Amino acid sequence: MARSSFPVEVLTPEGQVFADDVEMVSTRTTTGSIGILARHAPLMAILEPTELRLYKSESDVVRFAQGEGYLQVVDNSALVLVEEAIAPEDIDRPAFEARLEEARDAVERAAEDSEERSRAEREVRRYEAFLGVASG
Amino acid sequence: MASLKDIRGRIQSFKNMRKITRAMEMVAAARLRRAEQRIEALRPYADAIRRMTSRASQAAENIPSLPILEEKDEIRRVGLLLVTGDRGLAGPFNAQIIRAGNRRSAELRADRVETIWYVSGRRGESSLRFRGLELGGAWTGFTDRPAFADARAIADGLASAYVDGRVDRVEITYNGYISAVRQEVRHETLLPLQQADVLEADEEESEDDIHRRALWIYEPDPEEILARLVPDYVEISIFRALLESTASEHGARMTAMRNASDNAAELIDDLTLEANRQRQAEITQEIMEVVAGAEALR
Repeated sequence: MARSSFPVEVLTPEGQVFADDVEMVSTRTTTGSIGILARHAPLMAILEPTELRLYKSESDVVRFAQGEGYLQVVDNSALVLVEEAIAPEDIDRPAFEARLEEARDAVERAAEDSEERSRAEREVRRYEAFLGVASG
Repeated sequence: MASLKDIRGRIQSFKNMRKITRAMEMVAAARLRRAEQRIEALRPYADAIRRMTSRASQAAENIPSLPILEEKDEIRRVGLLLVTGDRGLAGPFNAQIIRAGNRRSAELRADRVETIWYVSGRRGESSLRFRGLELGGAWTGFTDRPAFADARAIADGLASAYVDGRVDRVEITYNGYISAVRQEVRHETLLPLQQADVLEADEEESEDDIHRRALWIYEPDPEEILARLVPDYVEISIFRALLESTASEHGARMTAMRNASDNAAELIDDLTLEANRQRQAEITQEIMEVVAGAEALR
């Protein structure tokens, strides 16, 4: 039997990238992987860069490379707010590899315990996740 | 006096110029429409972040002390971000930002405050470098179509400089977009973030909301979510400034190019009149010569 579905909206600063009913949302928060089904309790969470999977059905899955962001579930609908949501086929591997390299250099250059360093480390995690989605 | 041939040559060259400026005007108009849509596209995201922040701050037992909200006791160095374009030919668009930046820097100098320059856009970068100024950071190559990642790169640079103590305040100067024909230079303080701007509750909560608030699951706890949400305001503010600047740039270029086209048309009219007058003078001259020749033969 098909699972019941609920509306999901994915918003980025560059506009809406997805708005449809799905059976499950699969993503990752700071505490670990999470799957949201219909009638989930109200939730607010921080999202980490990973692969965002929106299951319209068992076989029809929409995938995105997701940047940092937030997830809010309320009134049986989910709102995914992320800085980036890139379709896997749109990921420009060489460009992201170059940026990953740059970010790694920035981590090396930055002083221990500086804000600069922690931001560069976030950058590294993000591009690693994106490249993981591209090859996955 | 210029010969008829010279004048015709000049008319032709003005006509060619007008073709170019007209084409540039149309390109700018198309890009302006797209830039306007992108400003619109940001709004739902920014509103959602604002609502989420207000919800998290109501749930949080205490507002976390974030370095980005803290005002520095003594202001010795101010980071000044100038948002310019990568290209010129846009009327006063770039020049007015650089002028405003210079004015601000002079004011700061009068208060014995050092200016650390940050710039986005090639025009501003080359202009500051030409004056031999050292730049705290420069970001270029995207002003036609800034992506959120560009805004984040700038925010990372400025917030790190603020938190790590290289600057004591960060200000931004950019072209705010009002309409296709109106842009204004805006000057805002970016860091420290104003707690009042960020954490004020927006809409009135209904009884119902208050009841349900207890049922929310937070992952991690609301304080940590806030600690992450608040710095996002810097990125969003910068992104909005970049988008408005881009729309302003296309608007300013459109106006500049329309003026150039109009001016070319005016010059073409004047020169055409001049050419006709000369042609008439030549014809008159020839008739006079023929008549004089005939007269002499009589």
